[in-house]
Amino acid sequence: MTVSPEKPARKLSMKQRYTALTHDLDWTPTYVTEEEIFPFTTFEGIKVHDWSKWEDPFRLTVEAYNKYQAEKDRRLYAVLDGFAQSQGQLGLTEARYMNAMKIFLQGIPIHEYDAHRNFSYLARYANGPGARFAALCQSMDELRHAQTEIHTLSHYNKYFDGMHDWHKWSDRVWYLSVPKSFFEDAMTAGPFEWLIAIGFSFEYLLTNLLFVPFMSGAAFNGDLPTMTFGFSAQSDESRHMTLGLEAIKFMLEQDEDNLPIVQDWLDKWFWRGYRLIALVAGMMDYMLPKRVMSWKEAFELYFEEQMLNGLFKDLEYYGIKPPRHVQWAIDEKEILSHQVYWVLYQYSHAAAFTTTIPDEADQAWLQESYPETWPVFKAAVWDKAQRVQDAGGRYFNPGLPQLCTVCQIPMGFTEPGDPLTQCQRQSVYEGERYDFCSDGCQWIFDREPTKYRQSWLPVHQIYQGNCGGPTLPDVAAWYGLQPGDGAEYLGSPDHQNWLAWHGQAPKED
Amino acid sequence: MAVRANYDYDWPSRSAAELYGDDQLVHIWWKGNPFFVSAQTFRFPKAMPFGELVGLCKGFFAADPDFVPDAMDTVQWRIDKVDVTPDMSASLEANGVGHKSLVEFSI
Amino acid sequence: MSVSAEPRPVGVDLQENEENRALVEAIEADNEDLNIRHMPGMIRLTKTGQLVINQASVESRLGRPWETHEFQLAIISYFGEFVEWDDDQIVIAWKH
Repeated sequence: MTVSPEKPARKLSMKQRYTALTHDLDWTPTYVTEEEIFPFTTFEGIKVHDWSKWEDPFRLTVEAYNKYQAEKDRRLYAVLDGFAQSQGQLGLTEARYMNAMKIFLQGIPIHEYDAHRNFSYLARYANGPGARFAALCQSMDELRHAQTEIHTLSHYNKYFDGMHDWHKWSDRVWYLSVPKSFFEDAMTAGPFEWLIAIGFSFEYLLTNLLFVPFMSGAAFNGDLPTMTFGFSAQSDESRHMTLGLEAIKFMLEQDEDNLPIVQDWLDKWFWRGYRLIALVAGMMDYMLPKRVMSWKEAFELYFEEQMLNGLFKDLEYYGIKPPRHVQWAIDEKEILSHQVYWVLYQYSHAAAFTTTIPDEADQAWLQESYPETWPVFKAAVWDKAQRVQDAGGRYFNPGLPQLCTVCQIPMGFTEPGDPLTQCQRQSVYEGERYDFCSDGCQWIFDREPTKYRQSWLPVHQIYQGNCGGPTLPDVAAWYGLQPGDGAEYLGSPDHQNWLAWHGQAPKED
Repeated sequence: MAVRANYDYDWPSRSAAELYGDDQLVHIWWKGNPFFVSAQTFRFPKAMPFGELVGLCKGFFAADPDFVPDAMDTVQWRIDKVDVTPDMSASLEANGVGHKSLVEFSI
Repeated sequence: MSVSAEPRPVGVDLQENEENRALVEAIEADNEDLNIRHMPGMIRLTKTGQLVINQASVESRLGRPWETHEFQLAIISYFGEFVEWDDDQIVIAWKH
């Protein structure tokens, strides 16, 4: 053993390592102008004076990133493998639980990939090395999320319907146009708006509502793979939240002229994101056989308490106000999930998930969680749906819904304070009428009508003859739906298989 | 306001009236009945008599078990949120129903 | 790092599993008046003011070296801001 005559150099501190391996690797170009290298960071009107002020609080380097991401993947894939080997799908609470997962796994992986692409673009085109490196890490994270979700899905696809053509569906099916339009809206904005849209509004403000109660719900319903990829993704998400917060503060600190632009984007993307996760409200309250918390409770905990009473007090320092239509969202927390699931229930014959009338236990939980509003909805719609079913039928809406031009959700949301009268908003732009579900969506359209008049609205596309033909079977074939993917849960192949796997005969009724 | 872009940004509507030829989209809304979760969108000829629309409604809304078709004969119609008394034999166009108009009733 | 905010709650959600037990114990020991909520698969720790994670506390309970970067394997979500993330300490607080 040789002993070094001198003591080794002192290890660099975390801060020194971070600076040496990110900021200090940057150089000032001399052969070309900064504008030529970074041509996309000026047209949005955001003024930046000093890119070196962009710091990553995580102080992550390539080495640390690789080390910890590899460990996360190692843990995750051990769980996925063990679940598959031990036939873990048999231990779910019920087969109908999978419907919530189907919507998630059909709708989200492709947009994780979209996020990967756009953060790659930022990793190249942001002027500062701090921003570029944080974007590079997030870009790789998003690719990892797409992969882990697809791996989770691939196991379930062997046992359940509604999984086999997720990629095609995400591009074609009506309810999946909701996430698609959201992410494509963000991707077609400039880099700073993207950061406020995805980095800040989605990741910091809202993503907790999507992931945390939902993944805890997966844990509660025996869905180990979803819990594990969800929590594993969330560990990256904490870094993304930090990037989003760093992004908004960086813009606000660089120049006070940035404030009105940032506020406008925040107002827009809060509402876009909130409408997108309305789907989660329906899934949480109606599709999980065992529930961790209601949408209302999650909204109060993860949005009102953490964001309105925490974050926005912090941002007030810069002159930022809470999002423009936030009160509308607060007012909706008692009714949102009822309305969303009622949409899903009556159109599930044209979808890749199944639905059913809430059973006795579900109804008791709904009554307890929503004592004011559940009885109203039960009387207005569910009792009637039950009568249709008792007479040997099953209520499906025989037509096509009016869609909101911005969020693309069927216009079933109601006027504030009136849970049963749908909200109807219209704007006219260059002689053409456009429809909206809320003041929030109308405001977004009125700001940028030339963007949103391009909305690929599934119902309008069907009527233009772009979706395989005029009848439901034509459209279902074009979507790539197969028998069993959609419609009623009771008696569906998933339900029958579940009973057979557990040695029970199908119910006689 | 104009979209902030690094080029002259202007794209046409994906649901403009001319994409539907002699037809147009019409939203029909049974206000106050959430059993139909939203207004319904249809593609109708502009020249279709309003009375034919009423006849189609009588069939369509029968998906609600409490629906009584005859009730539609006496409803107050509204077109784009204005009370109207339609001429049942005149066309949708002549009655003021345009592309993506909202035709509303309640029972 | 100076923190001038009025005391408001901050918090962190962690995966609740054996690997994180020492970490949770260290946080409990170093943060007075910590609120704890268990949910399936996770644990939610909140506190008014600031929440501190000390490397030395975690290491003494874990019985092995622990880099603060390892916190990334445990965290699901947080609210507040990472006002400090160094070799020996992580601090979550609101800045304003």
